[in-house]
Amino acid sequence: MFECNICLDTAKDAVVSMCGHLFCWPCLHQWLETRPNRQLCPVCKAAIGKDKVIPLYGRGSSQQEDPRNKVPPRPAGHRTEPENTTGFPGFGFGEGGFHMSFGIGAFPFGFLTSTFTHPDQRTSQATRGVLHHEDEFISKIFLYVAISFILWLLIA
Amino acid sequence: MSLIKEPLPGVVVDGDQAENLSLWIIHMTGAEGTLYEGEHFQLQFKFSPKYPFDSPEVTFIGPNIPVHPHVYSNGHICLSILTEDWSPALSVQTVCLSIVSMLSSCKEKKRPPDNSFYVKTCNKNPKKTKWWYHGKICVTSYLCIIDY
Ligand SMILES: [Zn+2]
Ligand SMILES: [Zn+2]
Repeated sequence: MFECNICLDTAKDAVVSMCGHLFCWPCLHQWLETRPNRQLCPVCKAAIGKDKVIPLYGRGSSQQEDPRNKVPPRPAGHRTEPENTTGFPGFGFGEGGFHMSFGIGAFPFGFLTSTFTHPDQRTSQATRGVLHHEDEFISKIFLYVAISFILWLLIA
Repeated sequence: MSLIKEPLPGVVVDGDQAENLSLWIIHMTGAEGTLYEGEHFQLQFKFSPKYPFDSPEVTFIGPNIPVHPHVYSNGHICLSILTEDWSPALSVQTVCLSIVSMLSSCKEKKRPPDNSFYVKTCNKNPKKTKWWYHGKICVTSYLCIIDY
């Protein structure tokens, strides 16, 4: 039933194409690499691509290590937030890795903006959330540094 | 394997060969009501380690090579799914089905026009031939232009 159209086994790390055909992500990835200039669905020859497949997450499916997992990770699902949410709607699929690298990259930048300008005028709504948190974090650190410095002065 | 479970009419896999995963011999019988009715053919499938991402090498072998405008007398077949239009979702079964229908739709038994030149000069591996397929016309890098 839920067999990969390439290896004919039960689909592992399953993805489904826009045309509705099911594959293991490692199988489909290998096929896309085989014909990088002519990416067609193996079953129906519809246009297909890494960003045009949807992963299928079954219940309780854990990330079991597989030797074929040396391929790039399966594309993430595209989450759209429901409407009428408050706060920051961005980063629907921002998991740890993405935030982390962005945070490190923006660190000195966040420091400058907190010192000289108000960040709201410079950044888009989505990135503002991250920068804003950075600013608060940095201001707190500065506050602690200043307090301990004053304490040190008083003691010395 | 699915070919053994769901056989096509007139198509049989060699019993002892089916265990060998890199070389299969398929026996075919020309379908009734076609120009090849009652004829027996053998098809050889050679699978590379990259199968199914790489197409199998499919040739007619044995004493009787079908006389067909897309089949050279050395057994090479001009069929786009065997090279450019290969897909890893194709099975031995679907390839056999395409070849059976290619034979069945034939209206005149004749060799490709460039047969003697091709057979003398081609590589042993038909996948090394630069086959050109233009829509319904099959053009080899040699001289043949055949209605598909
Ligand atoms: Zn698969
Ligand atoms: Zn498809």
